[in-house]
Amino acid sequence: MDGGTSTTGATPEWRSAMIDVSGLSLTELTADADADGDPADQSPLAYCLRRLAADLAHPGEPIAGFNSAL
Amino acid sequence: MGATGVTAARPHRLSDAALASLGAGRPGPATLAELRRARLSRHLLLLREIAVLARTEDFAALAAAERAAPDRVRELLARPLFGVWAARCLTALRAGATPDSAGTGHLSELAARARIPRPRREDGRQLTAEHDGLRITVRLEDTDPLRAELGLPPTAALDAAEHQRWQTLFAGAWRLLVDRVRPDAEVLAGLLDCVVPVRTDPAARGISATSADAFGAVAISEPADATALAVGLLHEIQHSILNGVQYLFDLLEEPGELGYSPWRDDPRPASGILHGAYAYLTVTRFWRTRRDPLGQFEFARWRAAVATAAGDLRGLTPAGERFVGALLGEVRPWLDEPVDPRVRRLAEGANRDHRLRWRLRNLHVGPADAAALADAWRRGERPPPVTPVLRPAPRRALEASARLDLTHRLLRGLPLDGAAGDLAYVRGDDGAALSAYRKNPGDRAAWAGMVLAGGLDAAPELAAAAYRALGDQERPDPLAMVKWVS
Repeated sequence: MDGGTSTTGATPEWRSAMIDVSGLSLTELTADADADGDPADQSPLAYCLRRLAADLAHPGEPIAGFNSAL
Repeated sequence: MGATGVTAARPHRLSDAALASLGAGRPGPATLAELRRARLSRHLLLLREIAVLARTEDFAALAAAERAAPDRVRELLARPLFGVWAARCLTALRAGATPDSAGTGHLSELAARARIPRPRREDGRQLTAEHDGLRITVRLEDTDPLRAELGLPPTAALDAAEHQRWQTLFAGAWRLLVDRVRPDAEVLAGLLDCVVPVRTDPAARGISATSADAFGAVAISEPADATALAVGLLHEIQHSILNGVQYLFDLLEEPGELGYSPWRDDPRPASGILHGAYAYLTVTRFWRTRRDPLGQFEFARWRAAVATAAGDLRGLTPAGERFVGALLGEVRPWLDEPVDPRVRRLAEGANRDHRLRWRLRNLHVGPADAAALADAWRRGERPPPVTPVLRPAPRRALEASARLDLTHRLLRGLPLDGAAGDLAYVRGDDGAALSAYRKNPGDRAAWAGMVLAGGLDAAPELAAAAYRALGDQERPDPLAMVKWVS
């Protein structure tokens, strides 16, 4: 499960299943993309991509319907 | 050789204090920055999957554009509607669509756009406001076809007069927000990227929406006034923040489990109930600053609804426990704050009324159970144990109540015109209200009204089902039936 806590440090923190690729260039992002797809792959990247795929496969409805006028 | 690039990337992290600040609806600038980075990570990971599946020149074109104009490409990829496009494109590719039909050409369009010198006024349309040293600028998105994916039908491109009306309302809303809830205004300034005008829904007066794929975008109909826009923006950006948190962490073990939501007439999944509670947290905080009867009513109503809805959530993950615990820690102290007793009666009544009408609408008593109830009534026995079944609704149902409309009019000091029972109820004449409601048992609102005005603790759907099963010939007193099941 994502959202594991680390309470061993001075400051507890929550680690996401999503990896931080915000600083990568597009070239870096796809440099080793051919290695993807092994269902036995337990790497953080593989887990992150499976979670993303599950998210897309079960999209929630848009949150709509707020009556802002009284 | 060690891992590099994406395989070496570390997870996104939030400190415990940051996650709690998000739950409480009080995130600081560093936490907002982490959410924006999470959005970019999500967009890039979607894009990576698209590149792997599509293998077109479009991605290569964008990568080349990035080498020439890295900041500009990054900015375009971080936009909320790019998330909408990427989710749609990848879903289509995985379903077997060709790259062309999945829309990968959009990447080449972005590449071309990134190479054009940035226009002095980005994309022409903006909404801007500044008050008391706090400034906000957002894009007014009224042309991009992707805006139709946010959940509500968008308007056509605005003409100059419409744009001006939006700008005037936006400036007015901003003054209200900065004056009354400045920390929330700072959150809006940090996260709100674009506003998409949508068509007004005649059933909803003002309506707005947020897509989980479009973090930072708000779809909203032209508001009635600056207050409606201020509250609508507060509400919608909370949905975006919660979506951003859920990019990072699962908060619910069973997000699809249906239940009661104080904000909708249809059954909602647990994920929607959490969204409602979180969105109304800052709405409640806004109304807390108002001392007029309507403001006090909204405050009293929503503080209780938020606390109840969040407190009733089950199956929270550890991160969900932390998040919802902080949410409850924020709202529960408000429950003790004084509110004019007359307004409080109406607010608590509105919440009870909604739940009663929701039960009548969504809890189905089967024919055998209804017949058993009717038989017990005829024999003068106590009602048998019956468990109504929750039925999913075929479509979205926004809250609609003549009694609530009348309450709003009363609190605004406007002339009252409505059904006799409702008029008596809002004025506090419960005896007259009961007399009126018991004459109209074909009306769902009348059944709820009898429970409400009678101060009863009853399952109205049982009384209504038994009444229907007894048929016209027997015609029992509906109020007696409500008391029977209470």
